[in-house]
Amino acid sequence: MADVAVNTKRAQRAAAGPYGKLGQSLNELDDRLGIAKGGRTFLDKIFPDHWSFMLGEIALYSFVVLLATGIFLTLYYIPSQDLTTYTGSYLPLYGQKVTEAFASTVNLSFAVRAGLLMRQMHHWSCDIFVGAIVLHMGRVFFTGAFRKPRETNWVIGTTLLILAIVNGFLGYSLPDDLVSGTGIRIAYSIILSIPVVGSYVAFFLFGGNFPGTSIIPRFFILHVLIIPLVILGLVGAHMALLVRQKHTQFPGKGKTENNVVGTPMYPVFMAKTTGFMLVVSGAIALLGAFAQINPIWQFGPYTASRISYAVQPDWYMGFLDGALRIFPAWSFHSFGFTIPLEVTIPAVIFPGILFNLIMAWPAIERKLTGDNEFHNLLDRPSNRPKRTAAGVAVAVMCAMLFIASSTDVIANFFHISLNTVLWAMRVLCVVTPVLAYPLTYKICREMQGFAGAGKRKTTNIVTRTVEGEYVATPAPAYVDDLAHEHEPEALPVPTYVVDEEAVAASDTGGVRRVAR
Amino acid sequence: MSEHEQRTPVQLSTVSSDDPRLQPAARRPELVERVIALTFLAGIVLIAGFGACYWINAAPWTLGATFGGGLFFLGVGLIAWGKYLMPRGPFVEERHTLANSPEDRNAFAAAIVERGGGVIKRRKLLGGLLGTGMGIFGVVAAFPLVRSLGPLPKGTLFHTDWAKGTYLVDITGRRVHQDDLAIGSIVTVYPEGMQDTDNGQAVDQTVLIRLSNLDFTTQKGRETWGPQGYVAYSKLCTHLGCPVGLYEQQLQLLVCPCHQSMFDVTNGAIPNFGPAPRPLPQLPLQLDAAGYLQSQADFNQPVGPGFWERA
Amino acid sequence: MKMRTRAPFLALAVLVVAGPVFGLASAALAATNSHTPYQTGRIDAGTPNSTTVVRNSAGQVVSYGNSAITYTAPSPALQALGQSLFLENCASCHGTAANGVPANGTSGAFPNLVGLGPATIDFWIESGRMPAADPRAVQANRRVARLNHDQALAIAAWINSLSPSYPDIPTPNLTNANVSDGAALFALNCAACHTIEGDGDALAAGTYAPSLRNIPAFQVVEAIRTGPGNMPRFTGNLSDYQVADIVKYVTTEIQHPQNPGGFGLGGLGPVAEGFVGLLLGVGLLALVGYWVGERQ
Repeated sequence: MADVAVNTKRAQRAAAGPYGKLGQSLNELDDRLGIAKGGRTFLDKIFPDHWSFMLGEIALYSFVVLLATGIFLTLYYIPSQDLTTYTGSYLPLYGQKVTEAFASTVNLSFAVRAGLLMRQMHHWSCDIFVGAIVLHMGRVFFTGAFRKPRETNWVIGTTLLILAIVNGFLGYSLPDDLVSGTGIRIAYSIILSIPVVGSYVAFFLFGGNFPGTSIIPRFFILHVLIIPLVILGLVGAHMALLVRQKHTQFPGKGKTENNVVGTPMYPVFMAKTTGFMLVVSGAIALLGAFAQINPIWQFGPYTASRISYAVQPDWYMGFLDGALRIFPAWSFHSFGFTIPLEVTIPAVIFPGILFNLIMAWPAIERKLTGDNEFHNLLDRPSNRPKRTAAGVAVAVMCAMLFIASSTDVIANFFHISLNTVLWAMRVLCVVTPVLAYPLTYKICREMQGFAGAGKRKTTNIVTRTVEGEYVATPAPAYVDDLAHEHEPEALPVPTYVVDEEAVAASDTGGVRRVAR
Repeated sequence: MSEHEQRTPVQLSTVSSDDPRLQPAARRPELVERVIALTFLAGIVLIAGFGACYWINAAPWTLGATFGGGLFFLGVGLIAWGKYLMPRGPFVEERHTLANSPEDRNAFAAAIVERGGGVIKRRKLLGGLLGTGMGIFGVVAAFPLVRSLGPLPKGTLFHTDWAKGTYLVDITGRRVHQDDLAIGSIVTVYPEGMQDTDNGQAVDQTVLIRLSNLDFTTQKGRETWGPQGYVAYSKLCTHLGCPVGLYEQQLQLLVCPCHQSMFDVTNGAIPNFGPAPRPLPQLPLQLDAAGYLQSQADFNQPVGPGFWERA
Repeated sequence: MKMRTRAPFLALAVLVVAGPVFGLASAALAATNSHTPYQTGRIDAGTPNSTTVVRNSAGQVVSYGNSAITYTAPSPALQALGQSLFLENCASCHGTAANGVPANGTSGAFPNLVGLGPATIDFWIESGRMPAADPRAVQANRRVARLNHDQALAIAAWINSLSPSYPDIPTPNLTNANVSDGAALFALNCAACHTIEGDGDALAAGTYAPSLRNIPAFQVVEAIRTGPGNMPRFTGNLSDYQVADIVKYVTTEIQHPQNPGGFGLGGLGPVAEGFVGLLLGVGLLALVGYWVGERQ
C-alpha cells in the first residue's frame, strides 16, 4: 500500500492511538512487564487524608533526608581510631593528637563546602525522625489502628523505632568527640553489667577492654550499611502492608468498615505527598542553616580521662539516661559475684520490658477485650478510655524519665539544689503515671458522656409544639451515614410533647397554668 | 446546597466528567493559581540562590537558608496545588477481604500439612537428621560471628598498670612532687609512661588530691596510703565508668558529672548520694627519697563499674 | 627541691634571699592562725619561686613572674584606705580584724581572711561576690562589683599587711599563649565542673560552677591559682605558661565561640537540641501536616 499519507503527522498520530506517544510507550511497557492493570489499580488507590495520617510521612521523609545527607557524609568521614595531628583551620585544635574519625568530621565541618550543612541536616533529621515515629506510633495506638489485621505492621513499626534509636546513637558516636565518647563509655559499662555474659559480650563487641581501636569502625559499618538496610527493608514491608491492607480511616460520612474514602493516589495524593517531602526536607535544611547542632569542634576529641559536665545523650536516649540517674545504688553482691542492679535494672531490664510490652500490645489488648474482629475504622481516643489511660500513663512515665535526664540543667536553671531535683524526679517518675491513669480515664469518660464532645457543632431543628413548647433536636449530620453506630444518638424528643391525646383531653389545652 | 455540604464519596471509575467532585476545591481557582505561581517563583529564586551561594563559597547559613527556603516554598506550592486545584473528591474504594475462600485455605493447609508433613512423617529418620543438622549449623554459625570479634576478658578487668614504685605523672609526663599541690588542689595522674596510652587514660586514670590532716578519716588498713595529706582515688566512677573529675574542695566531695554520684573524699570516697554503689578504690601512695609520689601497689580491687565476676 | 631553670645561679640567689623571707612569713602565719599557707615546688606556679622577683627598698616583694603572667603586690601605700574600706564594707561579717566569725546558727562561717593572699581578696571583690548580697546564700553569685579595682586593691593591701601571703594580683600576657594547649588543659581540668562550653552547671547541695562567659582574663588566673569557694586550687601542677594558655582559650573560644552552624542554642547541648528538634522541627511539620490533611 504505497499510500503517501502514511508518513504525515496526522497518520502518525492516528497510528499512535487515542493517548498519543506516551500511550504507545505505556503499551510497550505493558507488553514486557504486564503493568497496565496493576498500574491502574495503584494509581486509583484511595488514600484517606486525615491530618493525623501525615505524621508517619514526616518520619518517612526525614528518613529519606537521612539517606541522602548520609551518603554525602560517608564520602568524607574516615572511620578510624588511628591518631593523627590536626592541622586544619580551627585553631583551638591545631597540633592536638586526635583520631582520624574526629579530624575528618572537623574537616568536613570547616573545609568541605556545604559539609557543615549536610552534617547538621543529617543530625536534625535524625532527631525529627525519631520524634515523628513516636508521634505516629502514638496516633496509631490511641486510635486503635494496630488491631486486626494490622498487628504485624505494629510489630514492624516498633522494631523500626528501636532501630532508629540505636542507629542514632551509633551515628552521633561516630565523630569520636568528648560528649559522644562518654556515651560510648557508658554503653560499655551497661553491657558489662549484664549478668554472667556481660564481660564477654563487652570484650567481643569492643575487641577488648575500653576503648580499644575497633569500636568506631564497627559502629560505622553498623550505622551506614547493616542497620539502614534492615530499616529500608522494614520500611518497605511497612508500606507494602499498608498498600495491601489499605489505610484505616476515622468514621464519618460515607465511611464504613468495608470501604476507603479519600483522595486518589494520582494526581492528588502524589502531589500532596511530594510537596510534603519537599517541605520536610526544606524545614530540615532551614534548621541545619540556623540552629547549630553537635558542634564537635567545641567539645574536642574524646580521651578517656576527660569529661564535661552537663552532658546528656541525644533526646531519644534521654529516657535511659534519666532512668540511670534516678535509680538507687542497689548492687547485688554475694557468692563471689556482682549483679550491678543499679545499672542492669534501669538500662537493660526496664527498656526490655517496655519495648516488649509495646510490641505485644495488640495481643494484650486482644486478650483483655476479647475482640478478634477486623477493624478498619478508627476509634476516637475518648471512646476507649482504658486504652487511652494506659497509653497516657506510659507516655507520662517516659516523659518524666526524659526530664530526669536533665536534672543538673534543671537545678542550674531554676537555682534548686541538685539533690532536691534528683529526689523530686525519683518521686515523680513513680507517682505521675499512677496519677495519670485514673485522671485520663475520668477525662475520657467525661468526654464520652458529653453529648457532642469533640465533635463539630451541628445544626438543630427547632420545633414548636402546639402548646408553645420549643424543642430542639440536632439535625442529622449525614443523610446516608452508614457508621452511625459510632455516633451518639440524637437527643430523644420529650414524650410529653408527643402525647397528643393527653393534650386534647386536658381542659387547659396542654398549657400549664400557674395559679396566681 | 451550601458550599460546605458533606459530599457523598463516589467511585473514581464511575464518576462522570461534569461531577462537582472533579472540580477544584478552591472557590477562586485562578487566584489560587496565581498565589501558587508566586510560591513556586520564590522557591525557584531561592534554589537558584543556593547555587549562587555555593558558587561563591558563602557562609554555611546562607547555603542552608536558600536550599531550605527554596524546597519549602516549592513544597508548599505543590501541596496547595494538590489540595486546592486538583479534583477535590471525596472518592471511595471498596475494600476486598484479604482472606481467601475456604477452599483455597484448605488447599493451602493441605499442601503444607498433608503433602509436606506427610513426606516428613514417612521418612522420620531423614527429617530428624536434617533438623539436627540445621540446628547444629545454627549454633556453630554463630561462633565466628561472635567469638572472632574480640579476646576473652580473663583477668583484664581486675588489674591496672599501677604497681610497686610506679611514679605518678600528670598528662604532660611530669612527675608529681610532694610540694606541687596545695591543700585543696587536684590533678589527674597516670602511671609513668602510660599517660598517652589508651590503657593509661581509660583504666589507670587516678585523681590526686591534697587534703589537710584535720579533715581526713583514715580507713582501716590504709594508714600508710596517704603521705603528707595526699590521697589518690581511681578516677573511674563505680557506676558507669565516667571520669570523676568534679572536685568540690569545701564540701570535700568528688561528684561524677554523668549521673551525679557523690563520693566523700575525706572518708574513703564512700558514695553518699546518687546511683554509684561502691567507693572509689584508693591507690596506696608513698614518697621516694627525693619527695616524688609513687604508688605502693596496684588498687586492691577492680576499678570502674560492676560486672558479674567482680567479687 | 628540684630546680629546673636556665639560670641556676640567679635562681639560687633568689632562693637565698626569698627563702628566709618566706620562712619568716610562714612562721608568722602559723603563729597567728591555723590556716596552712600553701606551698609549691614548681618554679613558675603562682608564688615568688619564679625567675624574676622585684623587691622594694624594704625587701618586700613588689612583683614576680615571667613572660606569661606577672604577679604584682598591691602597694603598701593603699593600706590605710584599705582598712577604712574594709571597716565600712566587710567588717560587719568578717570582723574588724578580718579573722572571721565561726559558724553558730548561720548558714556558714564568715571566713577568716588573714593570710589568704591579695589575689583571693581581689577576686572576690572584683567579681562582685563580695560584699555578699545575701550572706546566708549557699554560694555568692557574680554581680556588678560594688567596689572598683583600686578599692579592691586597697582592701587586699591592708589584709595582706596583716599576714603577707601569695599569690599577688596577676596580669596575664597572652601574646605567646597557645590556644590549642589551653583547650586540652581546659578539657582535662575545668570542663568537669564548668562544662566543655564554659556555661557552668549545678553542683551538689545548692552549689554551682559559674559560667565563664563574662569573666576578665586576670580573674581567670586568680580563680585558678586561689581556688575560690568549692573550686579546687591549681598550683604546682599548672605552670604560669599553662595557666596563660587556659586564659587565652577561655577569653577567646569560650567567650567568643565559633558558631558557624547557626545559633548556639545556649551551649546546652542535646537538651536544647531536643527541645528545638521536637518543638520546632516535629511540631512545625505536624502543623504543616494539619494544613495538608483534612479535618474529618
